[in-house]
Amino acid sequence: MWIRRIFRHLAAFVITILIAGLLGATLVRFGPGFESDEQELDPRLNAHSVQALRQSHAAEQHLPAFYIHYLGHMIQGDLGVSRSLERPVTELLSERAPVTLRLMLYGIASGWLLGLALAVPAVLVRAPAYDLASTALSGVFLCVPTAVVALALFFANGPVRFAIGLLIFPKVFRYARNVLADAYTQPHVLAARARGLSPASIFFRQVSLWAAPQLLTLAGVSIGIAFGAAIPIEVLCDFPGIGQLAWTAALARDLPVLVSLTILVAVFTQIANAASDLAVSVCTRERA
Amino acid sequence: MKRLVATFAVTAASLLAQWGGELRFCLRSDPKTFNPLLVDDEASETVRYLTGGVLIRVNRLTQKLEPELATSWKISRQGRAIAFQLRRGLSFSDGTPFTAEDVAYTMHALMDPALHSPTGDSFRSAPGDVETTVQAPDRITIVFPAPVAGLDRLFDQVAILSSRSPKKEAATLGPFVVTHYTPGTDLVLERNPRYWKTDAGGRRLPYLDRIHLDIQQNREIELLRFTRGEVHLINTIDAELFSRLVKQDPAMAQDAGPSLESEMMWFNQNPSAPLPDYEKAWFRSQNFRRALSSAINRADICRIVYYGHAQPAAGPISPANRFWFNAALKPHAFDPKDALARLQRDGFRFENGALRDRDGHLVEFSLITNSGNQAREHMAAMIQQDLAAIGIKLNIVTLDFRSLIERITQTFRYEACLLGFTNYDLDPSSQMNVWLSSAENHQWYPNQKIPATPWEAEIDRLMHAQAAAVDTTKRKSDFDKVQEIVSDQAPFLYLVTKDSLSAVSPKLRNVQPAMIRPETYWNAEYLALAPAQLARSAR
Repeated sequence: MWIRRIFRHLAAFVITILIAGLLGATLVRFGPGFESDEQELDPRLNAHSVQALRQSHAAEQHLPAFYIHYLGHMIQGDLGVSRSLERPVTELLSERAPVTLRLMLYGIASGWLLGLALAVPAVLVRAPAYDLASTALSGVFLCVPTAVVALALFFANGPVRFAIGLLIFPKVFRYARNVLADAYTQPHVLAARARGLSPASIFFRQVSLWAAPQLLTLAGVSIGIAFGAAIPIEVLCDFPGIGQLAWTAALARDLPVLVSLTILVAVFTQIANAASDLAVSVCTRERA
Repeated sequence: MKRLVATFAVTAASLLAQWGGELRFCLRSDPKTFNPLLVDDEASETVRYLTGGVLIRVNRLTQKLEPELATSWKISRQGRAIAFQLRRGLSFSDGTPFTAEDVAYTMHALMDPALHSPTGDSFRSAPGDVETTVQAPDRITIVFPAPVAGLDRLFDQVAILSSRSPKKEAATLGPFVVTHYTPGTDLVLERNPRYWKTDAGGRRLPYLDRIHLDIQQNREIELLRFTRGEVHLINTIDAELFSRLVKQDPAMAQDAGPSLESEMMWFNQNPSAPLPDYEKAWFRSQNFRRALSSAINRADICRIVYYGHAQPAAGPISPANRFWFNAALKPHAFDPKDALARLQRDGFRFENGALRDRDGHLVEFSLITNSGNQAREHMAAMIQQDLAAIGIKLNIVTLDFRSLIERITQTFRYEACLLGFTNYDLDPSSQMNVWLSSAENHQWYPNQKIPATPWEAEIDRLMHAQAAAVDTTKRKSDFDKVQEIVSDQAPFLYLVTKDSLSAVSPKLRNVQPAMIRPETYWNAEYLALAPAQLARSAR
């Protein structure tokens, strides 16, 4: 029973990733500009060299053949060679992944800390002035694009690595505040209050436990949000991470890099969602 | 006079120069290659320029050739052969001695047809192999299969490789060597301890200990870092950022005058293009092209888009190219009345504020340009306004660069295009692939089997004639005629020649901005930092 369940999840996981990769490859291959190269405008190149340039990526022209060949090599740990940067994709990813992961980590941690730090007093204190101020603050950051926040921090010599946090905190704040407020209206929490349990005990043993599954779901989603925000931040502020690589590769129609990144993001998202689902089910069982 | 000034400047520089320190500036992207023979992007070109040793160097200020690794040279056999006398006792950065064998090795590697090197293609005027004869360790003759126009000048781009060093292209003869590279972040070049040049005081150059190149794609951030003092120079800066810098600190903003880069637009004259026949007929008409050229106010573009740091362009050669510029040519004057008169000659009618052709078709077409280039987008908007004044509706379409290239080189699904071309070399032979009707880069109608018009046939004849001639006066005369035909027929509407703009910190000494690449660090071996800056570098 368990084996069949795990097998079914694994199969869904693999199929989703394969489809994501194929869709990514199809979009790049049939997008405008795939068959051209900036070098073609170099007046020094003669006709033979221009033809050779066009032929140099002939292996990428036939999409099914390219994708099968790519997957075959991927199993062996070879993701191909970047068309624009002329370096192995595995090297590019391993060099740049730490930059993006660090940026995401700072962003997610600071966003959650700030969001919860504002949400918990809002529920516990229930002061209209505080509620208004914290809602207005989160509203401002909800409206301003992350790239603008990042650039503002950069020009002010501020900590750009926290820009993602300023994108995540309003979402965390609003969601957490609503979930926690809802938790305080649950019968078992009301009963606990009636029995005279301390506010701290009510918050940690009743409210948090009840709110945990919803918050964990948001945690899974915030990983995807953080990665999405990392792309413009890295591009605008010149952070040599995966986001900047993705942007450069998109401009250069770099098929091996873009397919690898699509698969990587798909794997990442799947794992994050699976972890979130697992945590939710554990919390739900605990709560029950 | 220029040479005298340059010599004086170099001598004075050597007397005042301080030793050591780290120069910092930015590259706009990662270098695509460290192999000097395969260089085709700006970042790799920077690395090649700072690390590579060449036989002959074009002085960026005087535009004259100067001996480097070769002490003298002689061209013979109608421009097919060149003999070099090399400097003795030099060695690569790893200690491997430099001999004529290295020059032979480099030329054979460069001219390998399978390499498809842009530098190699510049030498390839006909199929066949290059022959090298090493007469002595310091003498070599190189023979090409056919005459190569401006042969000696092309060696400015050829960094000599060692035939024996186990370090391959990492062994260099230039003032610096690459010692550290973090992809996407930075590149460090250290002083080459075996660099052969010395200053007037006999001290071994370069003055700087190292050059730190930060990889920085965002130009706004580059300017911010420059104003904060984190980098010492910006080699080329956009007119808008430049004008901002002028307001902030005019002493740091350097305008060296007209550059080799010009902006132009052209119409798609390809008969196989998927356009209506009447539009193709407009674009093939000389009157139509000249009329539109007269309707564009170039002076306004220079003033508004380039903040006065550009000038109206007359033709393919910029005034910065002192020898090949045809001074007799003037930019097409802004004259909307003349434009309408020319159009009427072709049967166009200006009615109720709109222009119609003789069959009643409304004159409306689109102009494509690359997105993200603010100056070009502004320029397109100004052209749109100018053409509206003579009843033409122009639609502006911005595309990302790859999509644009696909349209102008493969699908031909466009009507008009606004773009700029960079001249890599002063010699017009480097433009053969633009002017020959059979060429790939003959943008308005590429790859013609036979010339489509008599004037294109005449350009073909003149370009071949100038390339085959050894006498530079004859070459100049032929190319002047090419420029006159281009101005008269207007296959390209040359709009502006941009100024060579850069930003240089006052802490950096001996900088003499030029209009040829690399504008600010062409004399990198003589660049030095002010004493206060040296102390900071040391810390």
